[in-house]
Amino acid sequence: MPDENHDTFLARSLRRTQENLRRTGPAAMAGYTLLGAIIMLGGIGYAVDAWRDTSPWFLLAGLLLGVVVGFAELAKVIWRK
Amino acid sequence: MWFTIALGSGSVSAGQAAESEPFNAGKTILEHVANNAGNPIVRLPEVMGIDFSITKHVLMLWLVAAIVFVCVTWIARRRLKQGATASFRPGTALEMLTGFIRESIVLPNVGAKWVNTWTPLVLTFFVFILTANLIGLIPIFDILKLANHWIFRADIHYPVFGRMLEGGTTATANFNVTAGLAIVTFFSIIIAGSKANGFVNHWKNIVPHGLAWPIYIILIPIEIMGMLIKPFALTMRLAANMTGGHIALLALISLIFLLAEMFKSALVGIAAGLVVSLPLAVGISGLELIVVLVQAYVFTLLTAVFIGLVINVHH
Repeated sequence: MPDENHDTFLARSLRRTQENLRRTGPAAMAGYTLLGAIIMLGGIGYAVDAWRDTSPWFLLAGLLLGVVVGFAELAKVIWRK
Repeated sequence: MWFTIALGSGSVSAGQAAESEPFNAGKTILEHVANNAGNPIVRLPEVMGIDFSITKHVLMLWLVAAIVFVCVTWIARRRLKQGATASFRPGTALEMLTGFIRESIVLPNVGAKWVNTWTPLVLTFFVFILTANLIGLIPIFDILKLANHWIFRADIHYPVFGRMLEGGTTATANFNVTAGLAIVTFFSIIIAGSKANGFVNHWKNIVPHGLAWPIYIILIPIEIMGMLIKPFALTMRLAANMTGGHIALLALISLIFLLAEMFKSALVGIAAGLVVSLPLAVGISGLELIVVLVQAYVFTLLTAVFIGLVINVHH
């Protein structure tokens, strides 16, 4: 306690913010990868559909694959601990 | 101050659109956010199908790179010459920033052994993205347009200057820019893994060892796709966030002209601007100041996390 009182309020809150931000790293990664996988693979599926005129099959397959890959990455982050 | 100027320049450009045809909010907003690649500042020939023309975002990228290079080099050199005891505020600030990136972003993720190898890259990302984001908040080309409207009165087809009169200034709101940054991250991940564990081992480490072979048939494609998706997520996130804030600001300002047109009265537009648009635009601009910091931080944090994942493999 006495150590903390030597620091200014700003320094202490900055340190706490740093600590909290640091801990969000893996969680942020999991969230963005889940979304990124669905958007990217869904987008590729959509593009293939538009190119080959096979709507909606590649879009569906891409979305499904995106969900699988996204959740695989999420699972990796969760079970790492 | 910038808010008012942004509002003013927004009004002028939107007002010009309203003179000839009904005000089209979507078109005006897109003109402000987009790179305007069809009408570049300096048109250069295509080389192997790649357009090398200097657009506004290219110009902004160079400007940001020059500012970062000159400022950081000057501050760091002066700091080194004076020693750590001298009171030189920019030097102290730069040192604090470097310390923050090293201690709370790189070190916890990458580990003590490789922290000095990867701090420079992550620090460069942070400073570059932050500067680009912050400069994007200053409506440089919009101010130019405002100045042109009253002072220069140059034609829009005037060689270089005329082409600078519309379009956005946030280079990081362009997907190509963030994709370029994410490609650097992508290769850094591979280099980091190869340096720490050896090239062959890095690729072997992608999947856990000692599983039954049918599982690998599913796991290897998933992991390879995951490898590609990480930089993609970085690309989308940064560009989408930077574009989103600007669209919100411009939409609020468009409200003035939409209402003025709807009620056929400039007074209604001015009232709506003073009561709704201006306070909300100022609020969102304040929020954007936080967003530019957070986005630069998240990009660097995720880069450090990805590099750390391949260095400290433990499945």
